Amino acid sequence: MDPERGSRVRRMANNWVSGFFPMDSDNDLEMLMARYQQGDFDAATALIHRLGPRLHRFFAVQFASRGDADDLLQETWLRIHEVRRTYRAGEPVLPWLYAIARHIRVDHYRKERRAAAREGRLEEMAPMAALPAARAESADLEALLAPLPESQREVIAMLKIAGMSIEEVARATSSSVGSVKQKAHRGYEKLREQLTAAGLSRERTGGLA
Amino acid sequence: MTDREIDMVLDLAAQTPDDVAPGLLDRVARSIGPPLVPVRPLPAAWVLEGGLALICAAVALGGAARLGLFGIQRLSGLERATIFPALAVLIWLAATVCAGETTPGSRRRVSPWILLGAGSLALVAIFAALFHDYRTERFVPQGVACLTAGLLHAIPAGLAAWLVLRRGFAVNAVAAGLAAGMLAGLAGMTMLELHCPNFEALHVMVWHTAVIPLSALAGALLGLLSDSRHDQR
Repeated sequence: MDPERGSRVRRMANNWVSGFFPMDSDNDLEMLMARYQQGDFDAATALIHRLGPRLHRFFAVQFASRGDADDLLQETWLRIHEVRRTYRAGEPVLPWLYAIARHIRVDHYRKERRAAAREGRLEEMAPMAALPAARAESADLEALLAPLPESQREVIAMLKIAGMSIEEVARATSSSVGSVKQKAHRGYEKLREQLTAAGLSRERTGGLA
Repeated sequence: MTDREIDMVLDLAAQTPDDVAPGLLDRVARSIGPPLVPVRPLPAAWVLEGGLALICAAVALGGAARLGLFGIQRLSGLERATIFPALAVLIWLAATVCAGETTPGSRRRVSPWILLGAGSLALVAIFAALFHDYRTERFVPQGVACLTAGLLHAIPAGLAAWLVLRRGFAVNAVAAGLAAGMLAGLAGMTMLELHCPNFEALHVMVWHTAVIPLSALAGALLGLLSDSRHDQR
């Protein structure tokens, strides 16, 4: 078996296993959150280490630079810390957390735009919806989602990176389940076109594309 | 390519580990503590909603009692049984939306903009069905007096709602302001229905109902201002 195929099979097996034994069960996160509200620093650290990488990925999917994702991650945790009282025990943690993360991301983007407009370099700024095309050449999630409009990318990132349900994404984005389904469906349609076109061009160039 | 295949591609891509800078997560953890101060979580949603609804009722009843309960005395049984339950339902819905808008990640049953539009139209339809006196004597002076009284009562209701909601966090300040403004407007309008004895259809449809969108827009504007003030910091 060629090594690339072997690693793909291993990753698929990991996916399958993680589907049955999710890394962060909802109860676990809720318990940590409750302890965090009670002032337990270890619980806060555990939450940051468990959810931080996924949040970082969520920001990386939306922004071109890694520096932005780092800043947003820090800013989000500071805000989470500030408003941790607004989490209610028994409610799912992820929609609460991603609603705040989303707010920080939109806020950050608005500030950037305003600063760019002041300095007259608005045209230089990549819109949230358009990441540099060069990234599309790498085989990661960021590259796959780069051509999608921002709202569709956000929904798919929440579903796939955060592992949230449609209902949870609806809560995090303050929208209806129907609207989330529609965005995911449209996103999938675009991805289908893109992946099919990529497959065709690979066939035409004999796998060199 | 099927949805399942796209799912597999995305799942595989999502599995690649994220390259968080070493030490970033520890730095984030250090930035929030220790020590951590324990916090008191928000009360249950129904407590906030009940509190907001009570504020509306108290402002409307208090204001109407002070100005005179002439309106409710002149209304027929059918009119009372239609108008006040409709207002109560709208107040409850607005309170639910308000509490939801200030709690991140809560389920959104209805958008505040839709509730504002549908609620105002429903009230206009109810008034059109109940009142058939289409005279417009002193339409503007009487109307402006009612609108002013309604808006003046919306102010304390809005301030009290802010006191109840201040521990929350609005991820969308404009929507939260709109919902709170609508709730306050409903308090002002309920006061007018209890107090105002002018049942000319156009007077009620235009001037009484206008309290709700005007108060809601004022709330949205305050939300926008607080957003831009926050941005400038």
